[in-house]
Amino acid sequence: MKRKEFIKKTSLLVGGGVLSPYILPSGRLFAKTGTEKASHVVLIMFAGGVRQQESVLGRYLEDSQGVSGAAGNIMPNLFDGAPPNKKVVYGLDVPGEVKGTDPIPMMVSSPLSKEGLFFPEVRAQSAGHYVGLNTLLTGSTATTQGLKVRPRNPTIFEYLRKHRGFSASECWFLGNGIGNSTPLLNSSDVLDYGLQYGANLFIPPVTFGSQGKAILSNGKAYTQQELRPMYDMKSFLDQSFDLEKSLQNSIVNSDWEKTKIKEFIRNTFVKQQLGQIPSPPNAGGSDAITATYAAEVMKEFKPRMMALNMSQVDGCHSNFTGYLRSLHRADHIVGWLHEYVKNNIPEMADNTIFIIAPECGRNQNPNPIIDENDWFAYDHSDWNALRVWSVMVGKNVPKMKVGNESNPTGRLTDIVPTIADIFGIYDEVKSSSYIDPLATSQFMRI
Amino acid sequence: MIMRNFKYIFICYIIICTCSCKRKVEVSYGVNSVDVYDSKAQKIKPKNEAEYISILYTNLFQSPISPSILYQTQNVLYSIGDQSAAKEMLLSNYFNLPGLNIPSNDYMRNNTEAFIIETYKRFMLRQPNQSEIYFFKKYIEENSEATVEMVYTAFAASDEYGFY
Repeated sequence: MKRKEFIKKTSLLVGGGVLSPYILPSGRLFAKTGTEKASHVVLIMFAGGVRQQESVLGRYLEDSQGVSGAAGNIMPNLFDGAPPNKKVVYGLDVPGEVKGTDPIPMMVSSPLSKEGLFFPEVRAQSAGHYVGLNTLLTGSTATTQGLKVRPRNPTIFEYLRKHRGFSASECWFLGNGIGNSTPLLNSSDVLDYGLQYGANLFIPPVTFGSQGKAILSNGKAYTQQELRPMYDMKSFLDQSFDLEKSLQNSIVNSDWEKTKIKEFIRNTFVKQQLGQIPSPPNAGGSDAITATYAAEVMKEFKPRMMALNMSQVDGCHSNFTGYLRSLHRADHIVGWLHEYVKNNIPEMADNTIFIIAPECGRNQNPNPIIDENDWFAYDHSDWNALRVWSVMVGKNVPKMKVGNESNPTGRLTDIVPTIADIFGIYDEVKSSSYIDPLATSQFMRI
Repeated sequence: MIMRNFKYIFICYIIICTCSCKRKVEVSYGVNSVDVYDSKAQKIKPKNEAEYISILYTNLFQSPISPSILYQTQNVLYSIGDQSAAKEMLLSNYFNLPGLNIPSNDYMRNNTEAFIIETYKRFMLRQPNQSEIYFFKKYIEENSEATVEMVYTAFAASDEYGFY
């Protein structure tokens, strides 16, 4: 080989070898990193249909049940405002007193809406749960979305993995139940995106509940060295089968990530047995369990993007008393999770943005169902169910309130472009043609 | 009179004996062993979770899974995003349960080719081709840490095993 040719070929080979690890799945050489506002985002999909009146407006029993003089804030971790004078039902039970008379103490030092970007009156695009959750994760209006099918448009996880180069274990979705198609929300079925760019998923009440314990906790703990032959052989089998992308039915982690996930599951059961898993002190049920294991996942994987879903507030369809209790506890759970990250995960503490937004609101008028206190219940189907709010707090987020009840500002579809903006891929997401054309980053709505 | 009665009794005895003592015909049925697939390309339909779990359980324990365990297992698999990781954990759990019906590591090492063919037939319901036999034979011979559990896990967690 001639000297010139040798040098040319060697340079190309070396250059290719150096650059190839940085080529993103989308074909770009480098991700946009200059405009990244924070390294981590936690999206809390709150919490199963929340009425403006009892949440952001602090009306407690005044607007819903016609109890005069019973206004007040029952969500102190999220919103500013004094608690109601008539403290009944929503707090903790005190022996010898009326149930729920003791509000749960605040977890945060100042309400999150005061510490960040607060949109008190946002328009949702749907009054339903699954479409609402889809909207929060895809940035589309999701008008053709049905249950039991994956999102029809790419999720934020897929945008981040494809255009920002995040690995599977850097993106997580934690759902609070296997009903209502929740486990399908970690990826869309769009061919260009889809499961190949999907997020890891746990449904903690199942994965780490009694069923998961019965099925998974007795597993043998293999070392990475012991597993190597298995992955070699599996790789041979999979390559020779050559599964078509459209038939893929699961997200794919690297062998290293997969081993880490399995170790995490195994260790979690051990920690569970030893009582070493911290949880929100004054809340139970599937929402608290989801937040508990979301904290564990964050501690272990430090995900760049995590979304978690809460829905116990949805009991409002038939029990307004339970709704108030759940709302107060959902607020407590958010406060606990925020403080947990701040105090226990140094890598994320000052480098995370929390976004909290309901997937839909609730009706203006009640249904005929009354509960133990003779209070009316509320469904979600009318114009009032399209009224929601959003709170964003964390690194590089300005302290500001944008809009009010008479001046609605922002759409629920804004959440995805906002997250894209935080990670520096706003243009890619906005030009993908999959998101709501009216959606924009909340930073740009200021 | 006695003689006449004896005659009747004798005739009845003969009738009873000839009617009741028929030779029993032994009939037995069997199933011929056949390979379901000639090639992996014939597998185009994904198994659903219930199919996957019940087939795997029956394969490993040679007995059917109980409906309640099947239901629980389905839920747990559905609750984990990476199905491959979930299935590997499920298998490692199975390998810790009593009643497992799998060959020994000694058998695999001493009868490698037969083991490979049996494993392909057991999991993939087909004969391996020559390149598959070559790969696994070489791999098992050259890697002392390759155990039956690891081979079975690789097969059960493979893409092909998820299809029929």
